[in-house]
Amino acid sequence: MLKIFKWWWGIALAFGLLGIARMFLPLPFMNEVVIFSIYALACNFLIGRVGYISFGQPAYLALGGYATAFYLVHFGTNPYVGILIGVFGGLLASLIIGPLFVRLRSDYFAMVNLALAVIVFYLMQKVLVSITQGDNGLWFLTRIDSTPILDLTRPGHFFIFALIVGLAVWAFYKYLDDSIFGACCLATKLNENKLQFLGYNNFSIRLLAFVIANTTTALAGALYAVYLGFVSPEMASPSRAADPVIVTLLGGVGTLFGPIVGAIAYTGMKDVIAKLIGNWELFIGFLLVFIMLVADRGIWGTLSPALEKLISRKKNSARGERDD
Amino acid sequence: MSSDVSTPAVIIKAEGVTKRFGSVVAVNRVDYELREYEVAGILGSNGAGKTSFFNLLTGYFIPDEGRILYQGQDVTRMTPQERVALGMMRTFQLTSTFDNLSVIDNLVLAFFRAHRKSSLWQLLTNTCKQHRKDEKILATLASFDLERVANREVSHLGLGEKRRMEIAMAILAEPKVLLLDEPLAGLAESEIKGVLDVLQRQVGRQTILIVEHKISHLEHFLQKLIVMHEGRIIAEGGYECLQSPEVRKSYWQIDEAAA
Repeated sequence: MLKIFKWWWGIALAFGLLGIARMFLPLPFMNEVVIFSIYALACNFLIGRVGYISFGQPAYLALGGYATAFYLVHFGTNPYVGILIGVFGGLLASLIIGPLFVRLRSDYFAMVNLALAVIVFYLMQKVLVSITQGDNGLWFLTRIDSTPILDLTRPGHFFIFALIVGLAVWAFYKYLDDSIFGACCLATKLNENKLQFLGYNNFSIRLLAFVIANTTTALAGALYAVYLGFVSPEMASPSRAADPVIVTLLGGVGTLFGPIVGAIAYTGMKDVIAKLIGNWELFIGFLLVFIMLVADRGIWGTLSPALEKLISRKKNSARGERDD
Repeated sequence: MSSDVSTPAVIIKAEGVTKRFGSVVAVNRVDYELREYEVAGILGSNGAGKTSFFNLLTGYFIPDEGRILYQGQDVTRMTPQERVALGMMRTFQLTSTFDNLSVIDNLVLAFFRAHRKSSLWQLLTNTCKQHRKDEKILATLASFDLERVANREVSHLGLGEKRRMEIAMAILAEPKVLLLDEPLAGLAESEIKGVLDVLQRQVGRQTILIVEHKISHLEHFLQKLIVMHEGRIIAEGGYECLQSPEVRKSYWQIDEAAA
């Protein structure tokens, strides 16, 4: 019982803080943070667990987003069904793309995914104009149903929904980390040879990791689509390809809180700096170089040892009192 | 029945196995038989072809010519995974472990594959934690003197501890044949004793095949050995075969020069 509490306290605290922050910070910002956290969690899993750096995550984000959009424009009006369709689209796409891509190792994997982002971007912008409306994007905000209980057309309700989904995704990745599969992912990252000689199948382990991560990315895309009520090729833009990687590194690779911390810090910096001075991208570039050089373990990776020390000291002192 | 005891069945058989790397013939038409529960060694100087031959047996390389049989079944072109499923387990000369995992999780991975069907579903629905308390794993930790470091990340272990752990992983999988590639390389005297103690306990439980460069520590351990030189087996039998003129010339000379 206590052990379950041990790791739940952290996530409950993190999401509790997000809930409280909601009172002080604008909703659009909070929604962005939650969706970005989901996006970054998937990227973090790929980099930290499987050793795959991908510069093509916008492709999967857009595939999820457009799948949701097509449904909401042409077939139905229920946003929940739309999100499910987006997730399913991502699942299908990664099942098709995965077997081709996971044969490659990290640097080529990064490149081939970037290429995929370019392909998806041009498909949406130029090639499939008749379906996607090109740069104008697809607009369907007014078509989305107002559902009972949690009405996703209202930003406040959407925030609660996104928070619940985010919590579920986080708990899922937490579980993955503890599973034998998670250990296999770390093993294949470092020593695929040995894993093979223990009798495991590297390919299927990587494929599953790929499918899980990119289906999660598609979920983030579907959430964006429903939240914004429109999608445009900008979603798949290769120029945004480094975003999730940067957020992951900023927060701290391989830590479960890293992506959330990274998403908050990145979105926050973007907003604050954009308000103060115009060219936020340039400034963030410099800031990121600085952070990478000074704190290469990311914000959470640097802070958490200090936090752990603080907590263990408290525990020790509590234990000491009990002994008396 | 009695005949079974006196001459155990052949478990691994190589027939005219050849492997070339470019113009170099690393393994040259080698015939070899390993019987059940034997403790056998492959000796030879550096570049004699012993590790190449070993890699052919374990599926790391595919031979250019010849066949490899395992319990009468042709495994020449099988992947390492398939051979593991049949009961062959190897270690590596440069210890090969998962340095980013804890000692206990390394053992859990070895144990899990051997005792459960490692379908992806099984991998997903089992956690490492569930298996960390498994009796067999705890017993292995104890007998390999790894209890102290059980929760430590492998990257923080010394070479002796790592080597013991790699053998522990191999033994946990309960293979029929244990194939060890230079298990004593780079170890200090005290560590060598630890590894040998561990191996001694497996005699009679598994067939053991060891590739070694130096024979000195294995003298009372191996029951049968072959000596390789330039890709061929030049001597086979007990320790007396080390005295043959050919072996003296090819093996001892080089060893003396190195020392």
